[in-house]
Amino acid sequence: MIRAERGELPNHFVIAAISLCVLLFCPVLNLHAADTGVQVQLDAKNAGPRAVENLTERGIVRDYRFAWTSMAQALQSNTLDPLAGAFSGDAMQWLRQTVASQQESGLTRRYLYQSHQLDVVFYAPEGDVMELHDTARYRLQIRDGNTTIHDEPVVVHYVVLMTPGADRWVIRQLQAVPQF
Amino acid sequence: MSRLLRFWAIIGLAGSFVGLCAAQDFHVPESAVAGEQASISTTGSSKGIFYLVGPGVSRRRDITLGEEVQLAPQDLRNAGDYLAIVCSGTCRSENFYVSASKPANLTFLVHPSRVPVAQGDAVSGVAFPFDQYHNLVLTTQNVSFQLTAKDALLWSRSVRTQNGVAWFRTTSGKSAGPVQVTASLDDLKTRRAVQQVASDPCNLRITGQRTSKGIIVRTEPVHDCAGNVVPDGTIVTFTATGTDGLGTVDAPIKQGVARAQIEAPGPTTISVASGVVMGNEIRVGAQP
Amino acid sequence: MKYAIPILLVAVTVALMVLGLYVTGQAGITVGVTKGSALHTARASTPDQAVTNLLVDVQRRNWDRAFASISSTSGISEQAFIQDWMGSNGSLRSFSALEGFDSRPLHATNDEAQFRVRLHFSTPVGPLEDVRDIHLIREGDVWKAVWPKMQVSSVPAQVIPVNFLRWDLVTGSADDEWGSKNVDSPHVRIISMNAVESAEGAVVMGEVTNEDTIPAFVTVNATLVDAAGNPIDEESSFDKIAHVLLPKQVTPYRIDFPNLNLKNVKNVRMDVKASLVPASADPVIGVMNQKIDSDVQGKSVLSGDLLNQGGQTVNIPHVIASFYDSDGKVVWVSDGYVDRALLPQSSEPFAVEIPKALAAKVHSFHVVVNQFSLGKS
Repeated sequence: MIRAERGELPNHFVIAAISLCVLLFCPVLNLHAADTGVQVQLDAKNAGPRAVENLTERGIVRDYRFAWTSMAQALQSNTLDPLAGAFSGDAMQWLRQTVASQQESGLTRRYLYQSHQLDVVFYAPEGDVMELHDTARYRLQIRDGNTTIHDEPVVVHYVVLMTPGADRWVIRQLQAVPQF
Repeated sequence: MSRLLRFWAIIGLAGSFVGLCAAQDFHVPESAVAGEQASISTTGSSKGIFYLVGPGVSRRRDITLGEEVQLAPQDLRNAGDYLAIVCSGTCRSENFYVSASKPANLTFLVHPSRVPVAQGDAVSGVAFPFDQYHNLVLTTQNVSFQLTAKDALLWSRSVRTQNGVAWFRTTSGKSAGPVQVTASLDDLKTRRAVQQVASDPCNLRITGQRTSKGIIVRTEPVHDCAGNVVPDGTIVTFTATGTDGLGTVDAPIKQGVARAQIEAPGPTTISVASGVVMGNEIRVGAQP
Repeated sequence: MKYAIPILLVAVTVALMVLGLYVTGQAGITVGVTKGSALHTARASTPDQAVTNLLVDVQRRNWDRAFASISSTSGISEQAFIQDWMGSNGSLRSFSALEGFDSRPLHATNDEAQFRVRLHFSTPVGPLEDVRDIHLIREGDVWKAVWPKMQVSSVPAQVIPVNFLRWDLVTGSADDEWGSKNVDSPHVRIISMNAVESAEGAVVMGEVTNEDTIPAFVTVNATLVDAAGNPIDEESSFDKIAHVLLPKQVTPYRIDFPNLNLKNVKNVRMDVKASLVPASADPVIGVMNQKIDSDVQGKSVLSGDLLNQGGQTVNIPHVIASFYDSDGKVVWVSDGYVDRALLPQSSEPFAVEIPKALAAKVHSFHVVVNQFSLGKS
């Protein structure tokens, strides 16, 4: 039998204690880096029949980022206010339904560490509608009240329709698909 | 003592793994169609909470593991990515996709609403098929486009959708007037109207005569170079140069003709222009 | 001691009053004030006093007393006198008020005098100035103004067919089917732009045309940009443009940047917006007898007559003129409001000023008439 010296913990006890701590506290010690905002990149080289103008590319990136930031805020706080001006048509309808449904069920969702790779697959001849494919990477958290019931990094493929509004491009359709 | 501690550490570790693998197992549908009922099978016997999170839906309800969880059609009406979560002690999740059902609407965007006649690639249209729940139908569909004027078919083409969109571009017709543009997919038909308008005036000619009220000038019927009457309301500028100075009148074309009254007692030269097109000049003698 | 300060205050006040009267009297001009009876004298024993009395009463709309300053030899009724000042037919003058005036003698004898007055009106479209020459005669020991009879257009009663073109806008139902409300905005184009410096600052001007087949409501904005691409200032043309353009119509525009120098400006970014609007092609207004002249003050003006060829009264005509050099470039844009209504089948004179420095460069010009009619959409 190995006897510990006075004031010294036995090794096996230390290992057991550490294992227990790791098991118990690991989920809590989630070392999140600060969410640095929504990242968006755009590739318009396959756009057609109309080529995407430089100014339009910048506008799309800016407005898409704004739209997803607004959506994340709305679905986290269960309010519609952040959505104003970023969505229209069916996408707006879908988001309204989502917020209403979440308010009823007490759920919220968070989209963290978002990064979007956009590819323009169609730009109408008159420039009044654009279809993009978004390979979106984010961490999706679902909460029931204060309890996190789902927390997972995901990659989701979205088919997006955007149309020019009064002063920005708005998302008209946002539909997830298994693959492009 | 050390053996005892080792034992409890192993028990603790094993227990947590067992907990993680606890028997709430469930199976989501392999494929689901928007607006159709689906179900999720579960295994186990304890009570649990079922969550369905997806586009437009966030549901929470209490379930008994081992029973099938029915997903109502209205909860699956939006196409997209759904997450089913079952919590019983711990939570497990599975995702599945809902795809659009068959086309029920054809959204059709046509530009422009007014187009000059005989202009190449001037008219374009884009069609998106949507199902009855406003989900974009991404499976390939055949869309037919047609241009008709006064029931005469001017142009038609059939296009297969790619990424849920079909489009066309074509030359505008030779005659001014309304043109109907139609997109059809099976029984679905959507119509739009485009007004074909005359181009710039061609061969602008005026006549004038002196009356008691002054000089009355009028144009001959104003046509474009293809013979289409220029739309009413187009402004024609009459300019009169005489001894009393310059006089101008911006007069709109009405029923193909523009008229103006010019006060100029002395001998006067009158010219006409519309946009960048100049017409002839006439000379009118002094008031007797 | 306790009376020292009040006495001092009264003495200073009297001194300032005397100074004020003495200095303005020496300058030979009379300045009108909006309120107060300080300058109205009971008997106009000098032509200067007569002019002042008349205009102060007009300012206060004290018509009986104002008309009493008019000589009976004028042959004008009090009603016509009031109408001359107050305006009629919803004209711009009807909505204006005389804020002040400056007068100076042109010549004077023992029995008659001629004064030139500059009248300052405040109107809904901003301050307006009018210049009139007033002839005065001495009747006994009182001076009175001889007021000219106003030339009122006499339009004979007649029936004028209303067949003018009109465009209405139908916005459709509330159902938002994507793509169903397919009516494009009108196509308009800026056809020229010229940025110059003036005494008041930088000015951007040019012409814009409606290339479409429907009326357009047009606004033009300009942003001055420095060498680094940063905007310095942004302004709009406001009312120095004919906003409603019929098909193929051309209007000048002028955008003022007060107190701004062009030396830091590297680029001018133009922005023209056009929207659908209901419109009417009536009435047709002819611009006759246009010529560049000098007015009574020696300023270069483009003057002429507006002739209303339609059957509708134009309450407030607005004239916008573009001036071109020998290369056809727009060198200036002037505008002016006519403060009398333009009755059907009648004409009214107009005049717009050309800056002295530019008058010599002007080779040709083009006038556009904007119009506001009360109760018209």
